[in-house]
Amino acid sequence: MKAVVLDGIVLGLAFGLLGVGMTLVYGLGGVLNLAYGQIVILGAIVVMVVMEDGVATFLAAVLGVLAAAGVAVLLDLTLMRPVYRQHGEERTLLGLLLTLGAAFVIGGLLTWRYPAGALYINVSGEPVSIIGVPMAVGSLWASVIALAVAAVLLLFFGLTTFGRGVRSIIQDETGARLVGINPAFVRTVIFALSGALAGIVAITQSMSGPLTVNAGFELTTFALIVTVVGGLGSVAGAFLAGVLLGVVNSLSAHYIGQYITTIILLGAAALTILIRPRGLLGR
Amino acid sequence: MRTTRTIGRALLPIAVTAAILAILPSVWFGDSPYTTSLAVQALVFAAYGVGFNLIFGSTNQLFLCVGALAGVGGYGAVILIDETSLPMAAGVVVGTAGAALVGGLLSWIAVRRSLGIIFTGIVTLVFSLAFANLLLGQRELTGAETGLVVTAAADRLGDDDVGGYYLFAGLLVAFLIVFRALQLSHVGWAFRALRDDEVAAELAGVDVARYRIYAATIGSAMIGLTGALLAYSAGFISPATYSFDRVDVRVLVLVAFGGLGTLLGPVIGAGVFAILDEQLSTSLELREVLYGVFVIAIFLFFRHGVVSAVVSLYDRLSRRRQKPALQPSGD
Repeated sequence: MKAVVLDGIVLGLAFGLLGVGMTLVYGLGGVLNLAYGQIVILGAIVVMVVMEDGVATFLAAVLGVLAAAGVAVLLDLTLMRPVYRQHGEERTLLGLLLTLGAAFVIGGLLTWRYPAGALYINVSGEPVSIIGVPMAVGSLWASVIALAVAAVLLLFFGLTTFGRGVRSIIQDETGARLVGINPAFVRTVIFALSGALAGIVAITQSMSGPLTVNAGFELTTFALIVTVVGGLGSVAGAFLAGVLLGVVNSLSAHYIGQYITTIILLGAAALTILIRPRGLLGR
Repeated sequence: MRTTRTIGRALLPIAVTAAILAILPSVWFGDSPYTTSLAVQALVFAAYGVGFNLIFGSTNQLFLCVGALAGVGGYGAVILIDETSLPMAAGVVVGTAGAALVGGLLSWIAVRRSLGIIFTGIVTLVFSLAFANLLLGQRELTGAETGLVVTAAADRLGDDDVGGYYLFAGLLVAFLIVFRALQLSHVGWAFRALRDDEVAAELAGVDVARYRIYAATIGSAMIGLTGALLAYSAGFISPATYSFDRVDVRVLVLVAFGGLGTLLGPVIGAGVFAILDEQLSTSLELREVLYGVFVIAIFLFFRHGVVSAVVSLYDRLSRRRQKPALQPSGD
């Protein structure tokens, strides 16, 4: 039981990290980035290719994060411009469809070029015992990174002027514009941040098992579930929802069966939309 | 007198489509099973498209579960026959009813909780993924990835047979007639009102909730019926037959290409993409890339469909040629 819950928390932190990049972009302008999973994969493939050339793992990881951030910025500067000229539901719908198209383009190109591409970062070391449960070093590192990212993001949005500017746009775009904040610039920065987070997800996911080239839509789905349950646009909500769903996932996988867990997670998302559309911590 | 002429004119495009579909096999591909199966696939997608068009194009409900609804029809029909040995028609009826029920229920939930387009999209997407997982999980009933062989499959209606072709051509024409009939009735009037401005429609006395559920139920029944008939004509179904990335994405692209909410949009879209598929028999991945490019291009540049863009271009050109001497300003 203790081991199952601990496993769930580790998984949940990974979920939270996965969801936070999507939730930030959605909160900022109502675009659900359906290409998010493919950006994660792109980061992973870049790391894989660079590592095959004999570059040190850490340097390769940095390059992967930068590449993912770069693609996200490219998306923002090209496809997202016409999207942000729309308002309300039109904007969300157009954003959804264009990022779906982008997902196919990125995913298709990657699977075409690297059909057997997979990233696995082997973190060596003896399992570490935590409250009597042995945990693999790789997943512990992934959790530590997720926690560090959560802390940095919360401090950034809570304390810095730029972070407050971002939150003001989330609350009221027109109002933010009136007090001299340029939403287009802030959005580009947040897209870059979201892409960098996708790159970090690629690293942490591949520490506990290989991340294959066709996992894009699965990652997007989980990010979407976390985003919906946590509350669109809430950093703390994404991590809270992630951990909650992670624990639910491990418990149901352990006591009921593997295939039912995805259905339970999907059910959680559907239920959240129906009962509390704002999500756990959304406004 | 006048009304019969209006109805005649309204049915003309359908009659032309039916005539073209009727002569196509004899003038083009009657003896090639491969081309016939491509044509049947195009007809199946056109039929899905009409159903989806009724739901999304007419009443703005983003149903990202076309594949799953077709799967409810297909798997429902096949499993029922396998377990009870009822006749095939009973399976098709039950499968269709099941899909209609599920679609109506999803719409009822969306309407009751007044979900916007996006949340409707997410809830139906969630349903799609949950359904796919259910198919994989219920191994004894569905055969999981290996799929199900339909033992009751009909002779001479196979999906590479001209019989199968005429089956789906007839189905498509029937769907088009239903679609047009709805457009001409008070239901179509309500659809247009609620699509243009939901609040105004509500204020004008249109029961938006009811018409949304109508559209979703009828559209889902069409999709479910197509899925059930596909199971019998193909003789084999697996989760891939009805998967999100094989069905939904394609339906969305071809309906958007042809023009959302238009009568013949899905037919034209399905035809164009069938030809495109035949020409681009390159790798599956590159085809995926191309689909992505198409989705982006369509929604960036042709929001009302490529067909309507061509029509309006033609209108503009022909109007310029025969410019009247006196023209009111504006417009």
